[in-house]
Amino acid sequence: MTDDLNQLNILAPRETKPQMDRLYHDVVRAVGHPLSRRSALGLGGLALLAACGTKTGNGATGGSTAKSDALAGKPLENHLEIFNWSEYDDPSTYKKFMALPAEAKAGLKIHETYYSSNDELLAKLNAGGTTYDVIAPSQNAVAQLIETHKLMKLDPSLIPNLKYLDPKFLKPSYDPTGEYHVIKDYGITMFFYNNQIITEKPQTMLDFYHLLPKYVSKGRTNLLDGAEEIVPLALLALGLDANTDSSSDFDQVTKFLMSIRKGVTTITSSSYIDDAIAGKIILSQGWNGDVRRIVQGRKKQGDITAVLPHEKSEIWADNWCIPATAPHPVAAHAWINWLCTPSTAVTEMNYHNYGIPIPQALAKLPTSLSKDPLFNVPSSYTDNYEYILNVSPQVVQERTRIYTQFRAA
Amino acid sequence: MARTEEVLESAGRRRRSFSPRYPGWLTTPSLLYYAIFFLGPLAILVAFSLATQTGFDAISYGFDTSQYHLVTDSLYVKIFERTLLMAGGGSLLTILVGYPIAYWMARYLSTYKLLALLLILVPFWTSFLIRTYALKIILDPHGYLAEDLGIDIMYTKWAVAVGLVYNYLPLFIIPVFASLERMDWSLVEAATDLGAKPYNAFRQITLRLTLPGVVTGALLVFIPMSGEYIIPNILSGGNYEFVGNVIGDQFASAQNQPFGSALSISLMIALSGFVALYILFATKEERFGA
Repeated sequence: MTDDLNQLNILAPRETKPQMDRLYHDVVRAVGHPLSRRSALGLGGLALLAACGTKTGNGATGGSTAKSDALAGKPLENHLEIFNWSEYDDPSTYKKFMALPAEAKAGLKIHETYYSSNDELLAKLNAGGTTYDVIAPSQNAVAQLIETHKLMKLDPSLIPNLKYLDPKFLKPSYDPTGEYHVIKDYGITMFFYNNQIITEKPQTMLDFYHLLPKYVSKGRTNLLDGAEEIVPLALLALGLDANTDSSSDFDQVTKFLMSIRKGVTTITSSSYIDDAIAGKIILSQGWNGDVRRIVQGRKKQGDITAVLPHEKSEIWADNWCIPATAPHPVAAHAWINWLCTPSTAVTEMNYHNYGIPIPQALAKLPTSLSKDPLFNVPSSYTDNYEYILNVSPQVVQERTRIYTQFRAA
Repeated sequence: MARTEEVLESAGRRRRSFSPRYPGWLTTPSLLYYAIFFLGPLAILVAFSLATQTGFDAISYGFDTSQYHLVTDSLYVKIFERTLLMAGGGSLLTILVGYPIAYWMARYLSTYKLLALLLILVPFWTSFLIRTYALKIILDPHGYLAEDLGIDIMYTKWAVAVGLVYNYLPLFIIPVFASLERMDWSLVEAATDLGAKPYNAFRQITLRLTLPGVVTGALLVFIPMSGEYIIPNILSGGNYEFVGNVIGDQFASAQNQPFGSALSISLMIALSGFVALYILFATKEERFGA
């Protein structure tokens, strides 16, 4: 470490120096190239990096199924176990949280492990993962976890900073009472194309699909991968309900998908970003944060046009939730409250480039972010967009079947 | 020195004359390991495949064979066929690429034989995943192979085939090399002395004698190829599904353990058929004294 006037002096026990050093390297690495969480880990995510703190084996206190209203007045625990997407939060967010007066007094330490997909998170929780205090599931997983009674009802009195959140995001379709989640950030699914090759001006998702067969011979085209993307996005393009369980809707969408199948070169959600920046993709769907990076990466060539779809598309949200079995629920509430603090939200948005619906924080962002529609998607678009949910095992199975059929064709 | 030789000799003689029988219970740890970590999961898989899904993360155990009926749906049958065809084709390609290499190593190399063997094995020490990603760079549509030689096969089944052959080649070369090493080359000489053309000598002597090695090698690559998951995922760009990918989707995204398990068991049954054929073939070879 170099001597720097801006350096932060931390008073800590000598034994923690190796961990602090590692944290420092993590920070340097992370600042160097902030990764989109959806692209960060495509490899199965067994990475087990301690963001900070010691690896303690204390799960022994677990098993508290207490209703959260019994939490008020309880003391803050000295440990917080986070299960999260990798590189999804600014390293300083953790450091500053542990340095807050109450947290420092309790000697709170954070330990974080990572997953790379909602399926992996659900599998871990279903297999009896009871040591997690905070998780960050996407909307479809939230709805399913509520249904299977795996989440703790949050205690709003422990999250006073909820008042900063845009009220539109408090009671979404995946948690109609708003008792089980606090939104972490959100984004939308859109598409982009190479404007040197594609001369039409597609406006809607349906336009996008119709261009696929026409231009596939001119270069690589790509769809976002996953049964929960392929099928609902096509349903939305056709003007149908993304969360439908009607078999005639499924028949219709199968026919439609098979009709454009020949127009699709690849089906991937992770490798498309780097490939698009390298100029290898001419037409693809993408999540807004990733598309923003692609547009910036192709600024010099200026050949990528990004389109926020008119009519319908997907809106997705990642959320903070507390598992019903969380051993340290008070600390978990404190963490969520900290993430709802406008100043923290500013740091976070600068780091991961996905929107957090806290108006006070959005106002403090540099205009390059806050005025960019790919980051701060206008509500005239998002108002039409729908959340994709795991409605029932039958619907999920039907989507997977159509997805298999589509891939195997 | 002489004394050690004596000791060894006497030990050898004793083994020959007394052939001590070790108590059978010494295998208990191995058998336990096998039971817990192989038969156990298999039993769980069978129980899963006969269960009924009643909700997310909820199944009720029983004897429900409907999942197996679902496997016979034309969609999944097609994927089974495609997987076995691809693994069969991949094994055939592996034979075509691997046999000449093994032959060359066994017949023409002497000083560098070990080095060659090492070079064959070195890629095998690298992670499977990394090797497959490396292949992606070579096959890239904007890479040398595609732009200069016009071989643009990325994201097609041909890329998957190249990946299969490349990743499993060492598994084939080793047993074939071993059988070629053991072969008595004077038999080939004798055949040519008696007037056999090189092709006939190869076909009637060399190939005959190394056939068990070839069959073992082919089976060694065919079975893992049929269960392949990573190669089609990375090299086909999501375009070419193996049964392994469908099973993965059932467990992960559909959260349907019963159906995923039924698919797994069905694949195992299909592969067992091939292993049975192999055993029949291998014992026949032995009977006729290869």
